[in-house]
Amino acid sequence: MYNGLSLDQAPPISVVLRFFLSVPFFGMLLSLLMILYPAQVLIPSHPYSLAAVHLMVLGILTTSMIGALFQMQSVLGGRPIPSAQGNALIIHTLLAVGTLALAGAFFAEITALYVVASVLLGASILHAANLVLPLLFGGVSHDTLRGMRLALIALSFTAVLGIVMATSYASGAFSPSHGAIRASHYSLGLIGWIGALIIAVAFQVIEMFYVAPPYSPWCKRNAFRLIAAALTLKIVWLFSPLPYGWVFDGVLAALLLGFAVTTLQRLRGRKRRVSDVSIWFWSAGTALLAIAIAAHTATLAGAADVLEAVALIAFLLFALSVILGMMGKIVPFLVWFHLSSAGYLDAPIMSNIIPQKRAKLLFALFLLTAAALLAGVFIPTLFAAGGVFAGAMFGVLLYNLAYALKLYRHTLAHGTRFTQE
Amino acid sequence: MILLDTREYDHPIPLEMAVDAFKALSDDEVIHMVHRREPLPLFEIIAKNGGRYLCIEKEGTWHIYITRSSQVDLEEYRV
Repeated sequence: MYNGLSLDQAPPISVVLRFFLSVPFFGMLLSLLMILYPAQVLIPSHPYSLAAVHLMVLGILTTSMIGALFQMQSVLGGRPIPSAQGNALIIHTLLAVGTLALAGAFFAEITALYVVASVLLGASILHAANLVLPLLFGGVSHDTLRGMRLALIALSFTAVLGIVMATSYASGAFSPSHGAIRASHYSLGLIGWIGALIIAVAFQVIEMFYVAPPYSPWCKRNAFRLIAAALTLKIVWLFSPLPYGWVFDGVLAALLLGFAVTTLQRLRGRKRRVSDVSIWFWSAGTALLAIAIAAHTATLAGAADVLEAVALIAFLLFALSVILGMMGKIVPFLVWFHLSSAGYLDAPIMSNIIPQKRAKLLFALFLLTAAALLAGVFIPTLFAAGGVFAGAMFGVLLYNLAYALKLYRHTLAHGTRFTQE
Repeated sequence: MILLDTREYDHPIPLEMAVDAFKALSDDEVIHMVHRREPLPLFEIIAKNGGRYLCIEKEGTWHIYITRSSQVDLEEYRV
């Protein structure tokens, strides 16, 4: 069973920070798009909308999640990713340039960029999956590792389907199955990759970080099996003329709602009710997940299509909320841990690496962003205002990360180390 | 013996408490940390900074004994 982090297996701090530091830049680019073209971003399947969605999903969420995976694999799997620094450099560079190429392809409608993006993103994602997946089989096994397996398999299929779609966009020739491919692509990406990985992380950290009651063993054991089964059947139904395909959407919605409710219950059942901004992010995230489920379920029941935009935005904000909360815990811990392990007596305490005041400012900007973007689905001016709040939020995130790195480097250069007796 | 019961503190406070106590240890003093998990990161920090530790699990609770002295026999705490 996993119990903690081992420095001998943990990657250098630069491996994780490389991914995290590029997130605010993609965030600011996305914010700019929402400020300048709010109406177009809100039109489903509009090229600017697709550029915005991929900046969010690849540039912000997947970049953070793959960075975290480099840390998680060594921590949870007990088998570190080989040549972590070199592989992180390759995966990060391909992912960052590929995401820019894809956003550029949608934005400027340059067909050659679809090909460039396919090659770079396909190489990055499939290389990452090929590197990590074998390490998740054959060694220790627990619920979180099962979730990571599902997430990486789903990510691989999402990438393959994305390449197929990019080929269609590049050639202008769309197959009769394009709708099914598109629905499979976003179902696997949103639920299989993002949803499963967040649930897997929650199973570990909610109990460990916050001294909260554990999730039920039955849920932990079966959650990923049920998600995998429902996703697989949904995709089979998408490609075949069978009725009642919406049932699998309903099952997935019920599973995610169950996760949101039980997570909130765990957080409310903490032994020590100390204030912690990362808990606010988890709580806001689960509330946004519930909004996403409610909006999606309403569209299944025949409500206006505009609610599908609410569902997508709320789901992406749910993932962002959890990621921002976790970054606020992971980055100070890594700075403190690497300095303390290297023997620096004056390693800054974790609460000073990202002070509470700036963590609260980040959360306040996140709430403003979420409220403005969700209301902006109905009033585009508010959507642009959401872009302004998002820009400020990513600015604060960049400052927090850069300040943590500066403290780390300053202590390395000027700190006092233990003297051995 | 310095007793550190960190069972009800959120992560990462227990690690900071233990490392602060470890930094202040003198001669043959021993810290007895009581924790709800096996704190592997702490072991790395202690081992890389000239310390020694003994970790024992009893009924789901972890007892960790830490010293900087090479003379102290930590095995005597294994009851």
